[in-house]
Amino acid sequence: MSDTPIIEVSHITKRFKGLTAVKDVSFTIKRGAITGMIGPNGAGKSTTFNMICGYYPPTEGKIFYDGKDITDKKAYDYTNMKVSRTFQIMKPLKNLSVLDNVVASAWFGHAAAKNERQAREKAMEVLQFTGLYEKRHVLSKDMGTPDQKRLEMARALATSPQLLFLDENMAGLNPAETEEAIKLIRRINESGVTIFLIEHIMQAVVSLCEEVIVLHHGEKIAVGTPDEVMNDPYVMEVYLGVKKEDADA
Amino acid sequence: MDKKKAVRDYHRNLAVTAGIILLIFIAIPIFVKSPYILNVFVLVFYMSTLSMAWNLLGGMTGQNSLGHAAYMGLGAYASCLLVVRTGINPWLSAVAGMVAVAVVAGVIFYPCFILRGPYFTLVSIAFGEAIRQFIINSEFFGRASGVGLPYGKDSWIDFRFGSKVPYYYVGLAMMILIYAFMKKIERSKIGYALKTIREDEDAAAAIGINPIKYKIMAVVISAMVAALVGFFYASYIRYIDPELMIQAKSTEAVLPAIVGGAAFVEGPIIGGLIMIPLSEFLRATYSAILPGINMLMYAVVLLVVIRFRPAGILGWYMNSRAKQFVDERILKKPSVEVIEEVEMAGGR
Repeated sequence: MSDTPIIEVSHITKRFKGLTAVKDVSFTIKRGAITGMIGPNGAGKSTTFNMICGYYPPTEGKIFYDGKDITDKKAYDYTNMKVSRTFQIMKPLKNLSVLDNVVASAWFGHAAAKNERQAREKAMEVLQFTGLYEKRHVLSKDMGTPDQKRLEMARALATSPQLLFLDENMAGLNPAETEEAIKLIRRINESGVTIFLIEHIMQAVVSLCEEVIVLHHGEKIAVGTPDEVMNDPYVMEVYLGVKKEDADA
Repeated sequence: MDKKKAVRDYHRNLAVTAGIILLIFIAIPIFVKSPYILNVFVLVFYMSTLSMAWNLLGGMTGQNSLGHAAYMGLGAYASCLLVVRTGINPWLSAVAGMVAVAVVAGVIFYPCFILRGPYFTLVSIAFGEAIRQFIINSEFFGRASGVGLPYGKDSWIDFRFGSKVPYYYVGLAMMILIYAFMKKIERSKIGYALKTIREDEDAAAAIGINPIKYKIMAVVISAMVAALVGFFYASYIRYIDPELMIQAKSTEAVLPAIVGGAAFVEGPIIGGLIMIPLSEFLRATYSAILPGINMLMYAVVLLVVIRFRPAGILGWYMNSRAKQFVDERILKKPSVEVIEEVEMAGGR
């Protein structure tokens, strides 16, 4: 059982009308590890991510979770399967306090709270874990980017996932804040949560990920440890632009 | 230990304050004999209740309905027709009316919740007008001439009185019950789901909320409460006609919530207590002098509130010095942290 990858993506393709955003991508996510996905802007990272999270179905291909086909599952089914996600553009519940934001998700998921007290207790626990405890009575719209990013994670964690998807959770943070976020992500992983993340910040990817998948123009161009990937000639070419891309038109 | 006592005292002060307010309302009919004034209060009670029904959708879920007069009217028709045609007890007809309206609302709004955005509001307007036209043209519903309830001796069983006092108390009880019910919803799983949907549907889906399911639940509950109000209205006025469902009536259901503060369960009650007496007063005082001026003044008050207090009266109060004063001097409210600490410690 534990040999099967937690997520197996098999030949998925997504076409929006004429545009092929993701073309025949396959990869697996190893249980218990932190796996990253990188690629230049417009490489199809978010599209791939949204397909795995059920926000839109792939045009072709299948997605397996724990060996079960979840291609057609709806986004709101995921927390019941112990899978949770964050958003690249933060979506805090603006007019609710930080605490209420997290209480709301503590009511849902596979280990959903049965009553208000349980929901609050669970929320408090998560807030302490993510370091938002002191700010629990602040309206979430009044917080800065780093805290809102943290809140995204707190909300996802309150559903007690075993697999967590992080969509550019460190974009817009300064180096010190990034360092904090990296520590938090590592702590989450050490508590037994498998993590799959999209990230632009190489420092984070290198220090966190066991395995990295590189997308470019909707295709998987490399996979391996951060070191292997960074030294891959094609990846270097894509990132540093050694040679003019033919497919740029 | 001190903290515990402070929290207990605070809760006691809250309860005493609520008790005093309740006592005042209970005492009003004993001192006020004017049927006109009592009528204004009854109006406040049922319009506030209707507005609370609206607020579950508009305030909590962020789905602005402009068809609540139609639910109310349908509820009134369903219960009236049952009483007139089959002779069943009016209280039972109220339940039947609520169930009927719940089914109609659920079936009609299911498809339009699949779409996001303003479609719900549009459909709710069309829904109200369609129902009204249908009733005007249906022999079964009594066409434009409406349906009258039988008059007779005063009776609790038939919910029929010559005096306004029993209606006053039933109306008050209805408002309080629905308030308690809405408060319960707000703090429950459904309430959090609805608030999450209001803030962001994608975020809601990400934590495991099926937006369509919860929106349907909200519309069904809201429609049922509106139907209950319709039953009360019909028993009170004892005559209903399709005019009950015109668009302006749906708008009237929205106003108390907006003026009072749609983000709060209490909003519709506060708004109702202010706007309805005001509108009745303006009508009684000025409509004979210059017809229509009452509506104009009402509109001005409304514009002023929306312009200067967009979060409603409660929205302003919550961040005001007045609240600080009340909390510190009258209720002796401890800090949020203290209340939290005591609450969390209490159950372990």
